[in-house]
Amino acid sequence: MTKKKILIVVLFTVIIGAFIAYKIYNKPHVNVSETKPYITLTADKIINDFSLDETAANTIYLDKIIEVKGTVLELKNENGKGIITLKTNDDFGNVIGHLSSKSTKKINTLKEGQAITLKGVCTGYLMDVILIKCELIN
Amino acid sequence: MKTIYTFLCCFLFIGVTNSQGKFLTKNGAITFFSSAVVEDIKADNNQVLSIVDAATGKMAISILMKSFLFKKALMQEHFNENYVESDIYPKATFKGTILNFENLKSTESKTQVKGLITIHGVSKEITIDAIFTKLKDTILTKGSFMLALADFNIKIPAVVANNIAKEIKVTFEFNHIPYNKK
Repeated sequence: MTKKKILIVVLFTVIIGAFIAYKIYNKPHVNVSETKPYITLTADKIINDFSLDETAANTIYLDKIIEVKGTVLELKNENGKGIITLKTNDDFGNVIGHLSSKSTKKINTLKEGQAITLKGVCTGYLMDVILIKCELIN
Repeated sequence: MKTIYTFLCCFLFIGVTNSQGKFLTKNGAITFFSSAVVEDIKADNNQVLSIVDAATGKMAISILMKSFLFKKALMQEHFNENYVESDIYPKATFKGTILNFENLKSTESKTQVKGLITIHGVSKEITIDAIFTKLKDTILTKGSFMLALADFNIKIPAVVANNIAKEIKVTFEFNHIPYNKK
């Protein structure tokens, strides 16, 4: 009788363990549209932070979901992926947002010079500040 | 990181008077593929910055490690936190020269790019086979090569040794266009 009980407990633990392992292994990607932004700021502010001290800016913004307000400088659709460049006051860097497939569909409704807000994951600074998985916020 | 930025600045501003200017892409594609016993792992990065100086055939590439997207979130997390440590080394870079650049044609031609690749803070001399197409207003390049993780001091724990290949296949495709500041 006790042997049977132990067996049941062990079996139960193994099943629970396997389930948790499976859940962790299949952990979903961060959902940008449903997550509250870590910070909301202007395109000018973020490019200035990065051009002044990139290492410090990396520790603040890297991998965070942020909302950036700015003016559309350029709209592109490359192989079905929407890319929006937001204008900044920096000499040659801007903020580039790579849109999610959902937001790419809305890119045609935008015009150059329009003021918009992009919400996405900041992956760092090359010539421009890069945001990926962007959603358009009205 | 400052040095990379300075390098890029110099790269862009030196020889502005030159008739053959700089060609660049801000959305170049790099994919890496690991084929191992247990699973295949693939990651895409479509935010690669690549600059070609059409006068000298020099090439500079900058890659954000956090821009690599994986199918599974957990893989992406392990990649960034444990393997390439992207908080400490947020970028990978390549600086080099396109061999035989002046003889490249408007049709696909094979050549090599020789230079210094830096990943995970480790730099290594490398020569990569690449296919170039040089047109008036675009410089296209694509190719693939293998990288050994051990060369870049990237340690894979024994537990997952069967999940991750020791050599990773890297594929790239860049469509450079003339640089003009808006």
